[in-house]
Amino acid sequence: MLSRVANNLIWLDRYMERGNGILGLLKVNYYANQDSPELFSWSPIIKNFTTTDNEFYTEDAIECIDFMVFNLDNSNSILNIVTKARENARSVQEHISRELWLCINNYYLFLIDKNLPKRLKEDDPVAFLEDLRKFHLVYNGTFDITQERGASYYFMNIGKYLERVNLIADFTSLKLTDIGNTSDNLEKSFYWKNLLLSIGGYQLYLKTHKSTFNEAHLIRMVFQDKSFPRSVYYCINKLSRHIHRLIESNELEKNNIEFLLGKLESRIKYTTIESIIDDGLSKFIIDIKEDINNISLSINAVYFSQN
Amino acid sequence: MQSNPLFSSYDLLPKTWDEMYNNNAEFRNQYEDFIKYLENTSPEKLSKKEDLSKQLFMSQGVTFTVYSDNEGIEKIFPFDIVPRIITAAEWTKIESGIKQRLKALNLFIKDVYNDQFIIKDGIIPADLIYSCPNFLREMMGVKVPHDVYVHISGVDLIRNNDGEFYVLEDNLRTPSGVSYMLENREISKRLFPGLLPKANVRVVSNYPNLLYQKLKELSDKVNPKVVLLTPGIYNSAYYEHTTLARLMGIELVEGSDLVVKDHFVYMKTTNGLKQVDVIYRRVDDEFLDPLEFNAHSVLGVAGIMAAYRKGNINIVNAPGTGIADDKAIYIYVPDMIKYYLDEEPILKNIETYQLGKPDELEYVTKNIKDMVIKKTDGSGGYGMLMGHEASDEEIKDYLNTVRKKPENFIAQPILRLSTAPCYIDGKLSPRCIDLRPFALCGKNDIDICPGGLTRVALKKGSLVVNSSQGGGSKDTWVIE
Repeated sequence: MLSRVANNLIWLDRYMERGNGILGLLKVNYYANQDSPELFSWSPIIKNFTTTDNEFYTEDAIECIDFMVFNLDNSNSILNIVTKARENARSVQEHISRELWLCINNYYLFLIDKNLPKRLKEDDPVAFLEDLRKFHLVYNGTFDITQERGASYYFMNIGKYLERVNLIADFTSLKLTDIGNTSDNLEKSFYWKNLLLSIGGYQLYLKTHKSTFNEAHLIRMVFQDKSFPRSVYYCINKLSRHIHRLIESNELEKNNIEFLLGKLESRIKYTTIESIIDDGLSKFIIDIKEDINNISLSINAVYFSQN
Repeated sequence: MQSNPLFSSYDLLPKTWDEMYNNNAEFRNQYEDFIKYLENTSPEKLSKKEDLSKQLFMSQGVTFTVYSDNEGIEKIFPFDIVPRIITAAEWTKIESGIKQRLKALNLFIKDVYNDQFIIKDGIIPADLIYSCPNFLREMMGVKVPHDVYVHISGVDLIRNNDGEFYVLEDNLRTPSGVSYMLENREISKRLFPGLLPKANVRVVSNYPNLLYQKLKELSDKVNPKVVLLTPGIYNSAYYEHTTLARLMGIELVEGSDLVVKDHFVYMKTTNGLKQVDVIYRRVDDEFLDPLEFNAHSVLGVAGIMAAYRKGNINIVNAPGTGIADDKAIYIYVPDMIKYYLDEEPILKNIETYQLGKPDELEYVTKNIKDMVIKKTDGSGGYGMLMGHEASDEEIKDYLNTVRKKPENFIAQPILRLSTAPCYIDGKLSPRCIDLRPFALCGKNDIDICPGGLTRVALKKGSLVVNSSQGGGSKDTWVIE
């Protein structure tokens, strides 16, 4: 496969995964913000997903969603993300299924419809966000049932799981900042619950631990649960699997990717909850993000140098 | 004429061939099935179909990007739902005419870059060849596989008021539009259920397979690596490049994906360098190799011409084919056909005046209101002067430019392009059209896809069909 194509495939899925994550976060924060705006403000979300020179902040829910979905100066607005995903898809059409291309293109066309911003302002904002998320569900389903299992599929999955780990780390960091600012246990539990909702793990948590919020349980679920598709452990497993498939089919050189991956895997699998809490979850997250970044750079180095 | 309101404002243009009506204002036979369909379909339903066609083009991503103010706006190439219908007999003539022309043109290009008999025998003046901007000295003496230079062409035809098809230009470099031929048909299938089989319309959908076969057979390898080289996403025909690559199942590459090493061409893959054997390039000659042509080109591949001369890579179409579709050379195509094939041209040329010749310049200046003047190396409908619609001021300015380098200009009488029915504002109206069939020359034979792209000047009374200037397209049916 062409190196440029591999790069575009990775980024196609990274963008789609990021879009899905941001939409989930916006929806959960909308509900929480309508309950207690003082606990669940919008500024941290804007700050996390914009560049350092961004000057736009708002505490108005609709304005914020509008900024996060439509604003062209915001490089992580859904519109920008989907535009970039589509550009990547357009240039690799012969490598992705036709259905997948049509799905991304239709998403893009839906977003640029002139009447859409009006819908956000006048209708139910949750339904609005849900409608956008549906495109991601269709995307993932289409990907699963139409894309042949080969190099393209593996590269796209690498993009997906790299991005997902990043998002989980980001979302957790956001909440840790809030949690650090309060000594009220009830408030802390609100934040934890909000984190679970944002990454889609609340239902599973209730099933497993009922409605009692225990920090250790929570950290284990977000970082070490084997069956939860949005836990870091699960993502790293998938990442490892797809990287190894590429190595087996000679589409990827081992170099130090295997080493970096092994390091991250053992960090996730063999660090005990006690030591995570003792050393601080923030440090743990910083280490994970650094590992992910190194893996990402190392894939870049192998392929995307203009040899 | 009909009492049906759909046909009520169909004002035939004077002295113009209409594809649907004959001279007695009766329907031509080939339109019968379609007219029956129209008569049984309400205007509301037709308008709905028109909307549907727009939606389909958008959702399939069949768009081109227009750049203005640093912003790219994606547009669809306007599509008129009423097909243009050609009879089998008409098609037979078009087909044999194009084949004959391409045979002669390929022989001409080979001759020009090798022995130059046609110059020595005094058929074409040497200065005309050497002054042509599309003549590539770099191609002199280069052995081209199977002597095929023009593999892919899109000859533009128009039908004059005598009902005959004339060749407007030959388009032998990187003609585009074939993806619209394919998409238009796919859309027609959805707009008019059952009608295509009923009317016995010939199939166009195997074009990508044919193209792939032709590309593949250029290499001696059993499994050659064939790629399509695109200038990239900012090219207005990018959609076409992605479509053809996808439909052929070949890799779409950009210049930076390729590298030349020891006179072989490779692509940079995740699994190391992989040799490439055949390149269908949609990059112009000028940008193909920065070492030999435009040194600032980032669209091409450094060293590819050297690899080509060594016979290590096939480039389709061959570099330098532009010499044969230059507007000054066009005049000589009928002579070429006689010279190389000893045949009479099946398809006629349009009468053309060379402004480099003083008497012809004078004649054209006198009759300028009935003339269209073109630059010999221009394309896309730019840099033309349409005598009948230009102001005196514009004519004066243009002629001043012409007089500086008259050999760079030609003139043709303003043509009566034939008209075909278009569905506009709920009614059928006649609009001017041309026809671009797509031909493929392989090592043994020439194949022409039955149909092609019918371009239409959607503006009332306009003769300019180019997509960059308000033109649209139609599906083209060749019926048995």
